[in-house]
Amino acid sequence: MDSKTTRKDNMFIRICRYFRSAEGSAYYFILPSILLLLIFNVIPLFVSSSMSFFDANMTLDKVNYVGIDNFVKAFSDSRFLNSLKVTFIFTAIEVPVQVFGAMIIAALIAKNNITNKFFRAIYFLPVICSATSIGIMWKMILHSNVGFLTYALSSMGLGRINFFNNTHLTIFVVTFISIWRSFGISAIVYVTAIQNVNASLYEAAKMDGAGNLRQFINVTVPSIRPTFWYILMTRLAGSLQIFDIVFMTTGGGPNYTTESTVSYVYSRAFSSEASMGYASTMSMILFVIIMTVTVLLYRRMNAEER
Amino acid sequence: MKRKIIAFVMLVVMAVSMLSGCGSAAKEEKKAESTVNESSAKTSNGEEVKKDDPITIKFWNGFTGPDGDQLVELVNRFNSENKYGITVDMDITASLDEELSSAFAAGEGPTLLLSSSAYRFTYGQYMQNISDIFDKTNLNKDDFIQSYIDYCSEDGNLYLVPFQIVSFYLYWNKDLFSAAGLDPEKGPATWDEYLEFAKKISDPSKNVYGSGLCYGYNYQMAHVIQRFGGLAVTKDGGSWKANLEGNSGYADFVNTYKKLVDDGDNPLTDDTDSMMTAGQLGMTINGPWLTGGMDTAGINYGITTIPTGAAGSMNSCEVLGFSITTAASDAEKLAAYRFIEWWNTTDANGNCAALEWSLTNGYPAYLKSLMDTDAYKGNAKVMSMTNTDTSAPSDFIVDASFPGINGIINDVLPQFIQPVLFDNADAAASLANVQKIADDITAQYN
Repeated sequence: MDSKTTRKDNMFIRICRYFRSAEGSAYYFILPSILLLLIFNVIPLFVSSSMSFFDANMTLDKVNYVGIDNFVKAFSDSRFLNSLKVTFIFTAIEVPVQVFGAMIIAALIAKNNITNKFFRAIYFLPVICSATSIGIMWKMILHSNVGFLTYALSSMGLGRINFFNNTHLTIFVVTFISIWRSFGISAIVYVTAIQNVNASLYEAAKMDGAGNLRQFINVTVPSIRPTFWYILMTRLAGSLQIFDIVFMTTGGGPNYTTESTVSYVYSRAFSSEASMGYASTMSMILFVIIMTVTVLLYRRMNAEER
Repeated sequence: MKRKIIAFVMLVVMAVSMLSGCGSAAKEEKKAESTVNESSAKTSNGEEVKKDDPITIKFWNGFTGPDGDQLVELVNRFNSENKYGITVDMDITASLDEELSSAFAAGEGPTLLLSSSAYRFTYGQYMQNISDIFDKTNLNKDDFIQSYIDYCSEDGNLYLVPFQIVSFYLYWNKDLFSAAGLDPEKGPATWDEYLEFAKKISDPSKNVYGSGLCYGYNYQMAHVIQRFGGLAVTKDGGSWKANLEGNSGYADFVNTYKKLVDDGDNPLTDDTDSMMTAGQLGMTINGPWLTGGMDTAGINYGITTIPTGAAGSMNSCEVLGFSITTAASDAEKLAAYRFIEWWNTTDANGNCAALEWSLTNGYPAYLKSLMDTDAYKGNAKVMSMTNTDTSAPSDFIVDASFPGINGIINDVLPQFIQPVLFDNADAAASLANVQKIADDITAQYN
């Protein structure tokens, strides 16, 4: 037996010993999660990024290597560029409202009393509803002719507002529905963060004569900065991937004014063509955008913490 | 050590069961099984047959609605009645596409598939040529309406046997017709009449519109525009050619639609179904599924075929049919043929699965012999949906064998219509614009 084999054996024994130890056996318990993560996240990510260089159909039996052709096609595809524009408009409206609006609402309902608990439940209710039921509900409420709100506004002499079929208005309606749907989760996360702020800070501020607004600006906001960054990053990534609400309410119309990037990707992959390669390319472009924004924000957050 | 091994085994089992659960959670499955164990028997015609070895064939489809229950019942009936020892093992699934693509990729799949004929554009290489079904069974090819057989064929080879004809029809609200002084029993026969009726029915004070065309409903747009300007893609000298630019019929349609909207005779909406069932539309165009909502809402309505336009008589429809996949052996293929034969054959008691399906679910017949039966003639609903001109072509928006139909319906038509409707784009310019998109689509198949 040479020294090389002995070293290998020792290594093997050390690995076995590690996995038998209390620390190492923990990996057995996270094994299912790791498997799921690999199968449903990591492997698809690599497959998708590879597929973006191929012209592939749905059954993957016709796969041709096309190099960067799909990327060239994407940046000359007016519908893809329009979908990016729509996505950015949507994100530019949704993210500030979610990040700052939810913070203000959270400050108002942070104290643990019955009224605030009731409002927290109300705000959180849409979060647990499916996008399908939310889409159908708002379609019924805002339908251009038989909608409840449309009728009510019309009865008040405000005219019949065509919420879902107006090229200038509909993007805002979709954004509103999306904010309404996920506003609760941001607010509840903020509430938790605000409740964890050291009470002595508020007492000191009060002693210095600070009112509620001054306490909020000078004590609450700086204390919950990590939460602020967390919500900013997650909402930004979520908004850039908007799909379900668009799919359920407008389908991207009217005249593609609400067609988000993910909606367009879906249509290339499943509705119109079965262009899995091209759809993967656009997904990769969106992925790079989201990753870049997230990394920049993450660095900024870390810099602030230092 | 023993405990750790047990814990590890349990974790692996847990992981495997989680993964296997993912595949079956969304699956809706209905099974129909029974076995016949006779050694010899008679066919429905009384002919003595030598019984084959018992065989089970897999039959996949996506009929997850209430009609799926009837399908189960009919398949069960075949399983108990057939004298060949054939068992049809049916799997109705809400995710037919996903199951097919993974099964075919693994070299597996059902024997018998029930789907839109458009599936041959996606799974064409997995479908067998079944032109010999008329030689190997008692089915009479001449009894089938030829245009439906053509719809399911390519280069003279048959890939599907028709099962259901899905078309769009014109529905009118009889009460609104009466209120407008129109004959409630007579729908419009021409597009001029349609426009005239729409104008008379529209009443802004009651939020009532005469016409219910819907820009967001691509299939409706396709059925109507075809009446004005013919097929968007045809074969020209062996290659596919898009007929958008300079198509005066298409331009006429979109200008007519815009005028209806501008005049207040047609709502600008992406959902006309709700308005029709709310009694606010005089006329609309849709598939047979609209009747369920109107029946529930108590709407007094009539049905007729879509008026013929400048493009002449046509029977635009989609044909759903039985196909046999490459996963089937010869014996399984023959068994599937016998099931299809049974479906389309009237037995000694006058029962025929195809007729029952047609009358129960409200779809027009594809067999000429069924159209002549008293039961069919006595059903006002299917009679009003039946185009008696059996020689009319059955292509839907494109030549029936053009594989890029989805792109034409979902990409080309909306990008032509919506800029005119919303941005006042010129119809001819919009047509020229979408011609490029359509050319890209046709180029993929030339």
